[in-house]
Amino acid sequence: MTSMTANLLYLVFALGGAGMYLLLPKENKRQAIAGAVIGALAVVGLLTVLAARVILPDETSAFFYLFAAIAVLASSRVVTHPNPVYCAVYFVLVVIAVAALLVLQRAEFLAVALVLIYAGAILVTYLFVIMLAHQGGSPIYDRRSREPLLAVLAGFVLMAAVAGRAEDLPAPVSTSTSPVAVPTADVEGAAAQPVDSNTAAIGEAVMTRYVIVLEISGVLLLVAMVGAIALSRKNVPVERLAVPTKPIGHVGREVEPY
Amino acid sequence: MPGIAEYLILGAILFALGLVGFLSRRNLIVIFLSTEVMFQGVVINAVAFARLHHHMDGQVFALFLLVIAAVEAGLALGLVVLLYRRKGTLDAEAWSLMRG
Amino acid sequence: MSVETLKLCGIVILLAPLAGAVIAGTLGPVILRGRTHWPAILGVGAAFVASVVLFTQVRGAPTDETAAVVSVYEWIANGTDSAFRVEFLIDALTSVMLMTVTGISLLVIIYSRDYMRDHGQPERGYERFFAFMALFVFSMCALVLGGNFLLLYLGWEAVGLCSYLLIGFHYGRPAAAAAAKKAFLVNRVGDFGFGLGIFLIYLTFGTLDYGAVFQMVREGITGSGDPLNTGLVTAIALLLLCGACGKSAQLPLHVWLPDAMEGPSPVSALIHAATMVTAGVYMIARCGAIFASSTVAMTVVAIIGAITALFAATIAITQTDMKRILAYSTISQLGYMILGVGVYAADAAIFHLFTHAFFKALLFLAAGSVMHAMGGIIDVRQFGGLRKILPWTFLTFLAGSLALTGFPLLSGFFSKDEIIHHALMVHPVLGVIGLITALLTAFYTFRMVFLAFFGPQRVPEGVHPHESGLWMLVPLFVLGLGAIGAGYVNIEATGRGFHHFLAPVFEHTFVANNPAHAAAHGAAGAEHLGFWAQYGLMIISGAIAIVGIVAAYVLYVKENWIPGLIRASAPRSYRTLWNKYYVDELYDASVIEPARQTGRVCVGLDDYLIDGLLWVITAIPRGLGYLVRTFQSGMLQGYALSMVAGIAIIVLLVFWA
Repeated sequence: MTSMTANLLYLVFALGGAGMYLLLPKENKRQAIAGAVIGALAVVGLLTVLAARVILPDETSAFFYLFAAIAVLASSRVVTHPNPVYCAVYFVLVVIAVAALLVLQRAEFLAVALVLIYAGAILVTYLFVIMLAHQGGSPIYDRRSREPLLAVLAGFVLMAAVAGRAEDLPAPVSTSTSPVAVPTADVEGAAAQPVDSNTAAIGEAVMTRYVIVLEISGVLLLVAMVGAIALSRKNVPVERLAVPTKPIGHVGREVEPY
Repeated sequence: MPGIAEYLILGAILFALGLVGFLSRRNLIVIFLSTEVMFQGVVINAVAFARLHHHMDGQVFALFLLVIAAVEAGLALGLVVLLYRRKGTLDAEAWSLMRG
Repeated sequence: MSVETLKLCGIVILLAPLAGAVIAGTLGPVILRGRTHWPAILGVGAAFVASVVLFTQVRGAPTDETAAVVSVYEWIANGTDSAFRVEFLIDALTSVMLMTVTGISLLVIIYSRDYMRDHGQPERGYERFFAFMALFVFSMCALVLGGNFLLLYLGWEAVGLCSYLLIGFHYGRPAAAAAAKKAFLVNRVGDFGFGLGIFLIYLTFGTLDYGAVFQMVREGITGSGDPLNTGLVTAIALLLLCGACGKSAQLPLHVWLPDAMEGPSPVSALIHAATMVTAGVYMIARCGAIFASSTVAMTVVAIIGAITALFAATIAITQTDMKRILAYSTISQLGYMILGVGVYAADAAIFHLFTHAFFKALLFLAAGSVMHAMGGIIDVRQFGGLRKILPWTFLTFLAGSLALTGFPLLSGFFSKDEIIHHALMVHPVLGVIGLITALLTAFYTFRMVFLAFFGPQRVPEGVHPHESGLWMLVPLFVLGLGAIGAGYVNIEATGRGFHHFLAPVFEHTFVANNPAHAAAHGAAGAEHLGFWAQYGLMIISGAIAIVGIVAAYVLYVKENWIPGLIRASAPRSYRTLWNKYYVDELYDASVIEPARQTGRVCVGLDDYLIDGLLWVITAIPRGLGYLVRTFQSGMLQGYALSMVAGIAIIVLLVFWA
């Protein structure tokens, strides 16, 4: 990146940070609206900056920008929406956008696996738990956030630090539409077999080189299942304690007693 | 065609947004959801690197990441249910016994 | 004199009482209990025997070898040949002092065996008493035997310590504890000057050895060979005099001695009459070379001695506590001794020291006997006519009193007379003061005798007086004989008299520098004035003593309404004398009160300034802790935030720097 582009990027990040800060759950509605506007501006700015780098935009890049925008906007809403159900639904949107991006990168198997597992299984579980632990109305912990300024600062500084260095990599070698998943010669020197689908490539990789990891992840899933069942059987004594009125770490913000 | 830098920037953005959510939300479930958003960012990065190096390792890594995410979601939500049962609230501020 | 014998005697004299003290102190409370007086008696007795042997050695020495320096061991090596050694200087003066000290100590310790008992049972602290008494004897002997200023100072401080311990023997009594403190502190003031004098000696002469220092003073050179500044010698002498004023209770540092009577009577007898207080006189006599070279210093010494003598005598005529009267009497007699050395009559002063030791110790022990009989009361207004009840005590007391007043032919007569004689020769005014003081001495002494032992028989309520036991009476008798007969050791007829014996010590110092001596006799030797001058003075002083006694008789036995009349007609003078010229009050206002104020200021500083400073210093960690505590919220997200911040910083530093 040229330094001008880099600076513009940081500017965009700053704008996005301000927007995020305003969007995080607060009592003030007007701030949320202002935040939304600023955030939208920031996303537009981001896309522009990113687009400005590329000399020849073609149709694949348009899809990238579209889905990138969706992903960023949706994930910002996941994080800032007061209602947890909405958070979960926006998260579905994020998953779909990421899946699309993966398809753009010729990782179809992964894209479909993502949608299946995340949107299908994990999100459903989340929704179940939300329903289970629903407290009716809009409880205080949904309306307020914890140290929004410091969180946004820390997160965005980290983001800028990492993203600012994202330049230092060689440009991709091929722009062909051939499946990316061309297994090159391994270090071990096994004969490379040309495959013609991403799924096959993944399957080949997993079953030969990563078979142990596969087995271990199977065991892991088993352990998790057993653990979840064990957890859910526990009888937990109910303990309703009063929480201190002055929140810890905050200065001058009240927390209601339970 | 966007190069790898854009994907990496995007991955960083998603990761950071998830991080912001993790640090600032008080609802236990939304905290974990933000963790999942962070995972998405990592997946994008992993696959982008795979494409850069023309190797399947990144995608395989992302696949197993998916497994881990599922495991973690299951156990985390079980714990959240337990915590909710104990305190009757989903507020993360209720758990500050180690305050010093 | 064989050096080996002298060394052995010296070591015995020092170590026997010390061993007695240690045994009495350690084994006394556990094993010996009521027999603890034996280690003290045996130790001091051994010292006495050794000092007699020493005396015979010195007496039998040929005339060119009358002093010996016996080195025991090298104590502090300082790289030069003027290292500090433990060494004894043994000459006539040393042997006289040693015999006096050990002899009187022995008698007093024997007396204490009965005195420190309450109806036959040893008092509480019996063992401690004898340990301290023996320790005192050791200290005094160290002072006297020492051959350099370091040992002198050591002994000086050690006797001060023993005095403190023994005055405050009944430490439970606030008055006794306060008196002990007062004695120690007032002595400290004097010792400060004394110490400065010794430092000055070391700086000027480069050594503390008696022989070397005195030799250099006589030759008029300093340690490095330069000529000696006479002002420096005067300064040294005056500083040493400070110490003497403190230890021998001269004006203005006399205030501790009357209060020291809070200690038991044997303590008063031994320490505050016969031995410790005479250390000042001994010191001036020993440092004759230094003092006699400076006429200014000698004049100051003489004036202080005379004024003190008169001052104390005037106070004594109004006091009613028998021991207080004796205390002021001691101050007055010490004034005589100091006057004596001040008028170049050091041998007369030492002679008076010798006789005074006998009769003053006798008087104190006899007063103790009276106190024992009267159940602890010693105020002469509360008893009377005791001569029938306590006959032996009365006789010995009478003997001592007569000696004190200088009654003709008793010991005090000879010694006091000598001093007045020399005073009249050198400073006539001071000699007249001495005569007036002699009159007052006779008066107040017999006032005490008549009030206590004559007149109608009165005893305080509930007291059944009885004469004391043999343990107390025998020392009284021995001392009585001494009081009467000690004067005769000076008579030429008994062979080599006292003065002759001491002459070699003083001939190069006091005698040589005596202006009156030089003027009157040329180089003809140490004989005194002609017949009439000498015997005339004797007659006058004898007459003065008798006049005083008669006056006291008239005022206190015959017409005892007169004292009341005198008191009524001069009330302010009487009150001034009764209150000891308000010296204590003066010191309290001018010295003690400012010291207390300083203490209060320091307390305030300590509380506010220093503690405040500490508080500020401790507030820093506390504040920091308070700050840091806010980070420990107990919340996972808070910690995660810190982690993220840290990671961001690291990424920035590593990848961007």
